[in-house]
Amino acid sequence: MSVAFIFPGQGSQHPNMLHELPKHPEVDRTIKEASYVLGRDALELDTKDALLSTVAVQLALLISGVALARVLRYEDAAPDIVAGHSIGSFSAAVVSGALDFVDAVSLVELRGKLMEQSYPKDYGMGVIVGLDEMRVSILTEQVNSVNDPVYIANINTYDQITIAGRLSAIEKVFALASSMGAHKTKILNVSVPSHCELLSGVSKEIASKLAAISLNNPNTLFVGNCRARVLRNAEDICKDLSDGVANTVRWHDSATLMYERGVRLFIELGPGETLTNMAKKEFKDARCISALNSGIESSCILIKREREK
Amino acid sequence: MDISKLTNDSRRSWTTRREKKARQIAKVQKLVNGQVIPTDKIVEALEALIMPGDCVALEGNNQKQASFLSSALNQVNPDKVNNLHMVMSSISRPEHLDIFEKGIAKLLDFSFAGPQSLRMAQMIEDGTVTVGSIHTYLELYGRLFVDLTPNIALVAADKADAQGNLYTGPNTEETPTIVEATAFRDGIVIAQVNELTDELPRVDIPGSWVDFVVVSDKPYQLEALFTRDPRQISEMHILMGMMAIRGIYERHNIQSLNHGVGFNTAAIELLLPTYGESLGLKGRICKNWALNPHPTLIPAIESGWVDSVHCFGGEVGMEKYVAARPDIFFTGKDGSLRSNRAMCQVAGQYAVDAFVGSTLQMDAYGNSSTVTLGRLAGYGGAPNMGSDPHGRRHSSDAWLNMITGESEIQRGKKLVIQMVETFQQGNKPVFVESLDAIKVGQDAKLPIAPVMVYGDDVTHVVTEEGIAYLYKAQNEEERKQALAAIAGVTPLGKESTADLKQRLRENGVIAFPEDLKVKRTDAKRSLLAARSIDDLVDWSGGLYEPPAKFRSW
Repeated sequence: MSVAFIFPGQGSQHPNMLHELPKHPEVDRTIKEASYVLGRDALELDTKDALLSTVAVQLALLISGVALARVLRYEDAAPDIVAGHSIGSFSAAVVSGALDFVDAVSLVELRGKLMEQSYPKDYGMGVIVGLDEMRVSILTEQVNSVNDPVYIANINTYDQITIAGRLSAIEKVFALASSMGAHKTKILNVSVPSHCELLSGVSKEIASKLAAISLNNPNTLFVGNCRARVLRNAEDICKDLSDGVANTVRWHDSATLMYERGVRLFIELGPGETLTNMAKKEFKDARCISALNSGIESSCILIKREREK
Repeated sequence: MDISKLTNDSRRSWTTRREKKARQIAKVQKLVNGQVIPTDKIVEALEALIMPGDCVALEGNNQKQASFLSSALNQVNPDKVNNLHMVMSSISRPEHLDIFEKGIAKLLDFSFAGPQSLRMAQMIEDGTVTVGSIHTYLELYGRLFVDLTPNIALVAADKADAQGNLYTGPNTEETPTIVEATAFRDGIVIAQVNELTDELPRVDIPGSWVDFVVVSDKPYQLEALFTRDPRQISEMHILMGMMAIRGIYERHNIQSLNHGVGFNTAAIELLLPTYGESLGLKGRICKNWALNPHPTLIPAIESGWVDSVHCFGGEVGMEKYVAARPDIFFTGKDGSLRSNRAMCQVAGQYAVDAFVGSTLQMDAYGNSSTVTLGRLAGYGGAPNMGSDPHGRRHSSDAWLNMITGESEIQRGKKLVIQMVETFQQGNKPVFVESLDAIKVGQDAKLPIAPVMVYGDDVTHVVTEEGIAYLYKAQNEEERKQALAAIAGVTPLGKESTADLKQRLRENGVIAFPEDLKVKRTDAKRSLLAARSIDDLVDWSGGLYEPPAKFRSW
């Protein structure tokens, strides 16, 4: 059966995350390349203070994901398919061979800056647990208006969905969701209403930046965020990366697609275990691990064993 | 009348299919040894034998998979073999859909796609797969003999001999049906086998129906799908099982039946030797079964409840037990089970008194569905068995018991029983205003909403609250009231009132446990004849050999 590398999105970061990467020449190389593009030491991105900025968070996640994938590949442990959640999708694009890491760093820096500037106050994101997409979409459509916009932002698992928009609208959806039987509703510590049409301006600017970069056709299967499809050529991946910020992340579908395509080993590359835990819950007969927590050596053994099955 | 004018072309050949087959087979003569295709030549052989646009039946159901042949088909050159019309009862393995991405196949007729239901929905939306129809099993098997007759059949067997005779053993399933449809209309039958042998334990498919055999690199894929661990049976399942036994099986004198694979039905199987025995029902109900060899049926068989079981397929681990009980199971001269999916579906639809199943959603009229948004899982066999075959003539007590009218011309009804808890896991109500299936059907542009069991076929619904005898309802409104009365605190359930419930109870349209003399406090796990897989092994005298994933030792 096959192996997926999965890359987490915002929320998984924690202070010191880049310093906790394994000691390996590929990690050093990745930090060095990123520092060169950024014009500053990339290792400064992961202090507690630095991570208050979404730019630093996104860059740190990109660097961490790519560094870990490079380490595994150096040890001859390659994936059959890759996907990332939101910003994680840029790491996946790099690892698939579609996007150069150097280009990814400058793209993600721009993406972070644009997002930071987009909605200074009153907007954000919230999570609803216990209702499925069909039910949450009924509620967001009911509440959504020009003055009170709210949309589905991420479908993480079949019953864990984040919404984005104006805080007042999010609260209205929460109230309806609770009366419909949701177990939990919570405002997230994010000031940007990501992954909905409120960010279409950001999406356009990323697209014009991407137009100046040449992408390659991927050498490993890449699953996009917007429609949870395998994307086989540079143009489709390019479009998915720029559209992503203004479209729902269909992570539940992306993970399911990989599982249905035969993935029985999901390896999360980055800090935390958010995606690992989601996959564990949904795919009982798949093995789901974090490369950092399980260690590079045992990750490599598991990858090679899985690919021989 | 001048017949020669009516026959449009006197030079027409009546043997085009036969000639085509001969041409295709001639192409592989250098590759094959008699009827045997060498394992490492299979891809080459398929490229020669299959023509673009051919109708190909690839054996794959929810248990047995022709996995070696499906992976070989996924390796053919799409420039040589393309635009195939696939006919498959189950889309289970990744390569079943990979062949559509590569252009090897284009058109698909199928029944069930549970394990690939997201990709199925996506690929239909993207136009990568064109669907002929989504069938129930019997419709698909039937259509093999009408307008979906295969040019090529790719099937799986345990063993073959040099003459191409096949031994399919306990897992015969749908192999004979596919092979018959293909072989007798000049299609090419290719069977993967786990081994070639000089002497077969028995012949399940005669060699003259088979063109080629190929030894696979590893045994065909086989899933244990019908094993339910008794540890997971809850007291709520037991309560519902007790109600079903008293309020339905006993009341309507159910002799023959099919069970779904839920924990509710597993509970019933394990209550027969204990609770059923205490009611004096042994020998009076549940004697003849159309059912896979459920391990949870072992205690009922061992304690003398069961006269016969005919099986759709086998079940991993049950081989020795079944072979040791030939009075009960259909077995061959070699002693092992003979299953047959098509025949058992016919039996389950037409010949049994009752079908007992479960569902994820039910609307106020008893229509039920298991679909989720963005997924297309198809049907399988539940709609065949979960329906009343209107042409049935043979009467039985249970069937006649469903007659409610006064007219001089009356027919009985098969009992279609749905057992559901009012809430699914995750607090999702089972009873809903409108089925998700309606939106799913619209999104996927299906001609009809993918309803699993139609409400007008449902005679009984059992929940933890009670039983609704829907067949007794006078009209649609009363059906809805009866369902609401047992729908607990779901939105539908809240529509009911104490007065309404009382009236429905008095009219016998619903019954609560106390009406059936079932005490809620009696519903204990200690009532189960087996409380673990180990217990089932003990009941079987060590003959049942559970697969590793079910073993606790």
